[in-house]
Amino acid sequence: MILKRILLIVPLAIVLLLLQSYFWVPKFDEQFMGSSKRLTQFIQGSIGDAQILNPILHSDSSSGAITDKIFDGLIDRDRDLSYRGRLAKSWKIIEEAFFVPNTKDRSAEDVARKLQNAKNNSSIPWLDNISKIEVVPPKISKTSNESSRGKTWTKVHYPKRIKLTLRAVDQDLFDKIKTTFSQKLIEDDFSSFSTKENKKKIKLTEHNPIIIFELRGDVKFHDGHEFDAKDVLFTYQSIMNDKNLSPRKSDFEPIKSMEILEENKIKIIYKRLYSPAFGTWAIGILPEHLLNEKTLKREAKERKLDRKNFTLRLSNFNRNPIGTGPFKFKEWRSDELIKLKKNEQYWDGPPNYSEFIYRIIPDSLTQEMAFYTGTIDSYGAGVHQVNRLKKDRRFQVFSGLSFGYTYIGYNMRRKPFNDVRVRRALGMAINTEQIHRYILNNQAENITGPFIKQGPHYNKVIKPIAFDPKKAIKLLNEAGWEKRNGILVKNGKRLRFKLLTNHGNEIRKSIATVVQDSWKRIGIVVSFDTVEWAVFIKKHINELNFDAVILGWSLGLDPDLYQIWHSSQTNKGQLNFVGYKNRTADQLIVKIRQEYDLKKQILYAHKLHRIIATDQPYTFLYNSKWTALLDRKIAILQKPENGTHIAKKITATKTGSYSFDFNKWIKFPTAPIFESKF
Amino acid sequence: MITFLIRTCLFKLITLVIISIVSFLIIHLAPGEPSQIDPLNPRFQKEDLERYRKTFNLDKPLHIQYFLFYKKFFSGKLRSFKDNQSVFPKIWERFMNSLPLFIVGTILTWGLAFPLGVSSSLKQDSLVDKSTTFCSYLLISMPSFFLAYLLIIGTVHFLETPVLGMQTFGQENSSFFFKLNDRIWHLVLPSLLGATAGIAVLSRYVRAQMLEVMNQDFTQTAHSKGLSQERVYYIHVLRNAALPFVTMFGLILPSLIGGSVIIESIFAWPGMGRMAFEAILTRDYPIILSLNFISAVLVVIGTFISDILLVTVDPRIRL
Repeated sequence: MILKRILLIVPLAIVLLLLQSYFWVPKFDEQFMGSSKRLTQFIQGSIGDAQILNPILHSDSSSGAITDKIFDGLIDRDRDLSYRGRLAKSWKIIEEAFFVPNTKDRSAEDVARKLQNAKNNSSIPWLDNISKIEVVPPKISKTSNESSRGKTWTKVHYPKRIKLTLRAVDQDLFDKIKTTFSQKLIEDDFSSFSTKENKKKIKLTEHNPIIIFELRGDVKFHDGHEFDAKDVLFTYQSIMNDKNLSPRKSDFEPIKSMEILEENKIKIIYKRLYSPAFGTWAIGILPEHLLNEKTLKREAKERKLDRKNFTLRLSNFNRNPIGTGPFKFKEWRSDELIKLKKNEQYWDGPPNYSEFIYRIIPDSLTQEMAFYTGTIDSYGAGVHQVNRLKKDRRFQVFSGLSFGYTYIGYNMRRKPFNDVRVRRALGMAINTEQIHRYILNNQAENITGPFIKQGPHYNKVIKPIAFDPKKAIKLLNEAGWEKRNGILVKNGKRLRFKLLTNHGNEIRKSIATVVQDSWKRIGIVVSFDTVEWAVFIKKHINELNFDAVILGWSLGLDPDLYQIWHSSQTNKGQLNFVGYKNRTADQLIVKIRQEYDLKKQILYAHKLHRIIATDQPYTFLYNSKWTALLDRKIAILQKPENGTHIAKKITATKTGSYSFDFNKWIKFPTAPIFESKF
Repeated sequence: MITFLIRTCLFKLITLVIISIVSFLIIHLAPGEPSQIDPLNPRFQKEDLERYRKTFNLDKPLHIQYFLFYKKFFSGKLRSFKDNQSVFPKIWERFMNSLPLFIVGTILTWGLAFPLGVSSSLKQDSLVDKSTTFCSYLLISMPSFFLAYLLIIGTVHFLETPVLGMQTFGQENSSFFFKLNDRIWHLVLPSLLGATAGIAVLSRYVRAQMLEVMNQDFTQTAHSKGLSQERVYYIHVLRNAALPFVTMFGLILPSLIGGSVIIESIFAWPGMGRMAFEAILTRDYPIILSLNFISAVLVVIGTFISDILLVTVDPRIRL
């Protein structure tokens, strides 16, 4: 019977054909031993693919990891978190300050002369800081303001103003002038425009911080074109161009203007004091010659696309990027891999690895399998995965604190959370030790305030609130809550509220259970609920409709806390959703973002940290740790001038970045003996 | 016949319009926004969020968004929110990656399900029948991701060969023959896993159909005519039992575009299923809606093909 035979033979043949392929596939050992090329490749496993390989357009971590290798910024942070020059050789931060002089009984020139005399005849440091005093002729400034009612134009005729050039930024300059001179030199108010709105628009005093970057002259893009100040200007203009939809725009909004002084020197003038602005120059610099309007138009024409609506975002550049970084782009196979090769001409010396491969494996267990067998060198290992492989001699383990913390936030607009004693008591009732040990596998540390723990702004003197349920009850008694039948009652009302968090985060859910139990023990009725993330944000956080929530912040290095803690940010949809308001804190927050002197900034930050720790708008729960695994065969290879090679162990920096020296890494055929010369 | 064709086409067109409206509404009314619009990012100002919404047309009323979307869809100008790539080339690229998985999976499903089903129906209640029944239920009830993990860990430990992705890393310079076999090897596990549930279910159906037809009068007649057992079973019974399966052929079509989210994610296979899944996570509306619409079209075409196939195969049915 033919049909019967077909039914038997066909499946058999297919199965055999499929299985025979096994004999042609290289075993792991063969891939590894057979080609030494594998030793010069670094393969990073990643859960998700990159989206857009453009440093000013991406908003996902995968794209960030790749663009960091392809592009260089003007500056970055060194091992100790201080700024260090990359594409910029050096920099200078000065200030130009303007004020409208009080000309009731003297002219602007008189005021300038008075200041100059005072400067010449005294050695007060802030006067010494002034390098030049000028009188600026009157000018007309036009500003537009868009609101729901339409565009409004404001035209201001400024009289003669005094311009002071300072050697270093001084945010208290005008206050100092006011207090030093007995006569009123600065015009505080013009009677002719006394409405509040006008006062906001028209500044009688103005701080203009200025950064002057001196750029390296020896840097070339991957296509051989020379890097210069034009590229920096172009990168800024591209970010500010609304058509490009750059998620970095608000970082660069404080810039007033930019000016190319020389081929390798650029001057950036800021509208106002905003110290975090300096750090934003770590952004990757784009090549102007490949992306300027003319080239984009040409590309649109070649690809037969609408030339009018063709923007940087649509350019093929974003899938074939060209930068100045240590690695050049080679290949991108969507959801499979991104391949980079080393830039032999890199100004800081070429990396040791000849290829960097970003391999996308969307599942963490299979990532572990791939890592285990050596087909990837590194992946974002979970705590349980690290524990599993920690004792294996083939691997090395890294761990450090992550940037950010998890907290319980209280809606301070609602009773009883408006009482600091209640908030403190709630924090005291929670045994954070227990949470660290049983929920987080000890992969966490205490945190007491709003700054990142690794940075200098964190006030290490402040002790965390100790676990003490008895004292908690005492505090609540002070606040008027009395225990009746085991439940705290005030004016006939029971102390009850709802704890919320987002659905799908098992750790937060477990924490909620522990917290709920701890609070129940001291007589508080707490219900708990989880809500899907999008609904949680839209209906509860943005609408300010919650009692207490468990959430986390991931933070950057700069100490600017304006959006999270300033009292102006407490409206619907803003980030100070707990409604924290403290005037001293507000002043300090503003001072911190305006201060360019690190020492002073740290001083303010420590004060602010103490205020927030005392007010306890959040119960700060923990600062989690990250862990990473690496093959023990990977180490730092140093090549000093005399031709010997030294292998060094990879160590994490203060901030916990173990890949800081990545360009010097290499994989050895066997685990190296450290500090030996060969 | 012609009136039937015109009538069906018209109905199917109306169905498609309704599907497009409903799916558009479901996606847009569901909570959440494209991942580019992240209200909890301290770096984002309110104006930035508005700017994004404006460019994605999300600030307009829903009915206008609907027309703008399908205008772009049909003129081929649709771009993904995520990476600004044109939607159709993107889908096509992924489609070509999923295609081998689909073809091998389907061949395995149908190629193995029929022999299994037929043999267990012929030897009803025998050991073969009982063991295939047991295995089928085991495979149906075991989650495919679990089976996948077992298979991957087993292969990695005992066979020591790579199983993830579409091909082995760093084999770009080997000969065509090696490359071909390497790719086939990488197809084995995912397609087998994709086929398991299908094989289990389909072989059950085949068995049931065979048994049903075997008990009918014409089978008795064939037997009493003195035909050989094999002729009765393979020509008379199997042909009649296979009728319902012909219609299933048309319905495979939509699964072409669906791909397999779980298998593709576990095996790091850059296919359609994964793209759809990731698009849903980042609320990449253009991708989600395009895939949704295309698969709706495929379902409609698939049912149409099954109707036609059934008419051609079974002379008893008239339109």
